[in-house]
Amino acid sequence: MIIRLSPALAALALVAASAFPAHAQFKPTKQIEFVVHGGPGSGNDVFARQLSTIIDQEKLAPVRVQVVNKPGGGATTAANYMASKKGDPYTIACFTNIWLLNPLVQKAAVNRLQDMSPIARLVVEPALVVVLADSPFKTLAQFIDAAKANPGKLKWSGGSILSRENTVRQLLMQKTGARWQFISFPSGGERLAALLGGHVEMMIVDPSEAVEQIRGGKFRAIAQVSEHRLPGFPDVPTIKEAGFDIPNVPQMRGIVGAPGMSPEAVAYYEDLFFKVSQTPAWKKFLTDSHLDGEFVRSAQLKPFLINFEGTLREILKGTGAKVVR
Amino acid sequence: MDVLNGLLHGFAVALQPTNLFWCFVGCFLGTVVGILPGLGPAATIALLLPLTFKMDPAGGIIMLAGIYYGAKYGGSTTSILLNIPGESSSVVTCIDGHAMAKNGRAGPALGIAAIASFVAGTFGILALTLLAPPVASFALQFSSPEYFALMCLGLALVVLLSGPSLIKGLMSLFLGLWLTSIGTDLFSAQARFVFGQSELLGGMDFVVVAIGVFAIAEVLASIDGGEKARMLPVPKGVRNLLPSWEELKACRFAFINGSVTGFIIGVLPGAGSAISSFIAYGIEKAFSKHPEKFGHGVPEGVAAPEGANNSDSGGALVPLLTLGIPGGGTTAIMLSALVLWGVRPGPLLMTESPDVFWGLVASMYIGNVVLLILNLPMVPVFAQILRMPVHVLFPVILGISLVGAYGVGGRLFDVGLLVGFGLLGYTMVKLKYPTAPLILGFVLGDAMERALRQSLTMSQGDLGILVRGWISATMLACAVLILLLPLLGRFNKARVQAIAEGG
Repeated sequence: MIIRLSPALAALALVAASAFPAHAQFKPTKQIEFVVHGGPGSGNDVFARQLSTIIDQEKLAPVRVQVVNKPGGGATTAANYMASKKGDPYTIACFTNIWLLNPLVQKAAVNRLQDMSPIARLVVEPALVVVLADSPFKTLAQFIDAAKANPGKLKWSGGSILSRENTVRQLLMQKTGARWQFISFPSGGERLAALLGGHVEMMIVDPSEAVEQIRGGKFRAIAQVSEHRLPGFPDVPTIKEAGFDIPNVPQMRGIVGAPGMSPEAVAYYEDLFFKVSQTPAWKKFLTDSHLDGEFVRSAQLKPFLINFEGTLREILKGTGAKVVR
Repeated sequence: MDVLNGLLHGFAVALQPTNLFWCFVGCFLGTVVGILPGLGPAATIALLLPLTFKMDPAGGIIMLAGIYYGAKYGGSTTSILLNIPGESSSVVTCIDGHAMAKNGRAGPALGIAAIASFVAGTFGILALTLLAPPVASFALQFSSPEYFALMCLGLALVVLLSGPSLIKGLMSLFLGLWLTSIGTDLFSAQARFVFGQSELLGGMDFVVVAIGVFAIAEVLASIDGGEKARMLPVPKGVRNLLPSWEELKACRFAFINGSVTGFIIGVLPGAGSAISSFIAYGIEKAFSKHPEKFGHGVPEGVAAPEGANNSDSGGALVPLLTLGIPGGGTTAIMLSALVLWGVRPGPLLMTESPDVFWGLVASMYIGNVVLLILNLPMVPVFAQILRMPVHVLFPVILGISLVGAYGVGGRLFDVGLLVGFGLLGYTMVKLKYPTAPLILGFVLGDAMERALRQSLTMSQGDLGILVRGWISATMLACAVLILLLPLLGRFNKARVQAIAEGG
């Protein structure tokens, strides 16, 4: 009887915990380490420092939240570090898609995002599909038709084959049967330079990186990788609206705790970052960087991550990448 | 006279007392950061960024840029004195700079480094002032085949770095090429040669490898050679602490070479500043009347690479300020700093924010003078470090090296790697293998491989793409010529000998 009741009780407790996060018992008494997988100045470092600055300025936590850089091997060094802090309520990290992707293709990357304690997803990053302003391609459909007529001749610049740029390309190629090349460049500057110099025909880029080039008359946006149109680009269709019904690939950022973090600590951090997401400073940062701020709580984050990992695994298999997990 | 008006406006901004103050702060911090190995300008700027949120954008960018180019000035100090490259751009300076120090010319070497940095740094800014827009469009013509050719040209310099045996030099180079391929491959996202070590997935840091095979190996070799516990000669008297007139005269061509080479390569977003110093050194040696003296402490061997890496700073700001394209880690952070201050970096920056653009350019002229004034008086002070007896000096070198390696990523694993590379370097020195080609391969190999694979993806496997453009074809031809020259020379010598014997 007791055995049969316990799942229901556990569910009840879970509901109670998420309904009253203010009653969390954990209260930090020493500095919190906020682990970042990029080096100083990388996108994810800037993002985390913005969060920690807001926590500091708005006095949302009684202690300092110190950003700690653990760069190397995609997110592997950072994930290993988190695993070494098992159960520690003072270590949290800022994750992105790479935390999910790396263990899927790398045997040596043994610490998976699922092993961490999910706290919250903070943003989803949209992207723009851009061409040179004087490019003959006015729409995505024109580009795809040209690619069909000249298989393998047209080129996109982007990051590694695990990047979202390549994922979207793979999905579009599977959908349409067209074929074009993907040229990997390690830094955003080189990707932009390749398009500006006319060495590739198109690229997928963060809105914040492209917006000045568009304003300066160098680039033209022909589609956006997003569920809905961004406020800054009301005239640019989403890929779906452009006539290509492929799944949207979210590029996410969020917070996880060290593996095995106590539910009280998880609840504390969930509440802390929820407060951050409500501040005007954070909302301004989101608008300035063209980010979608949809706060997803711990309870929903876990099933989302498991689901999303499955989607990514299928996409990767489709791209011909070697999937090891 | 748009440029003149702009520059006058810029000086009006840069000469405001607060901006002058920030310029000085940036240059000072940059010098310190440059001297400390392991702590780079990129990390420093990122750490200081939150402090600048409230600053005026012109003052902020003036300070951050000061850290950026100031670090290049400081980087030569430990290279020359202790054979520890402080930054990747100052690794070439170790070769002749440290040799000069061992000959008792540490002061002059430091002085020449400072003067070359000043001359070439100023040239770089002058070129940035006058030529920015046309030079930026030239840089955009560089596609992957051109980068591949540039890297090949750099690697061909192995001929000039290898000493008596070209075979040993090539083997050292190939070892460097292999070491740089360790880690995650960008194209396939697969790990290469990591042997199950997740710490190796990100590859090895340049600082760890270079400090290992240069500084640690040198200490080990000196101890082993029974360095007779003697001090390095540091002559007394101010005259011996500053470069002599003859030494400066010998550097005439090196100043020009470093300035021009550094700027041209600095402008290219995918090149990086290490290659500019390698190529400037190569040109210097190739055109020298006494190439055999290179590596034994010639002042040109310090002036050319030090000039190049400072002129490179001016060049690297061209794509950043005119196009909004960052060429490397440090300029990428400067770009995000501009965004945080509400400035919009991109093609419109020059016209929309003249205060920032011209203020920065003008402040760099001032900053170079500040750096010269900061650095020259420090030369005698730094030169005294070598007065320490070796039983004090060697532990100091080892200590700085270990801290530098740990500072790269805060991992003990890197310290272990450092020790490993120290032993490797020591073995190479004992077996008379040159270590500089290894570093050359390590620095350029990654970029070369990438450019080759990008080119072949673009052309769907057609090798012809590598020689179709005139820029890449010319550079590849030069590379082949440099590689073949010693063979021709040997052939010629043999022929002359044969004729002599026959006659």
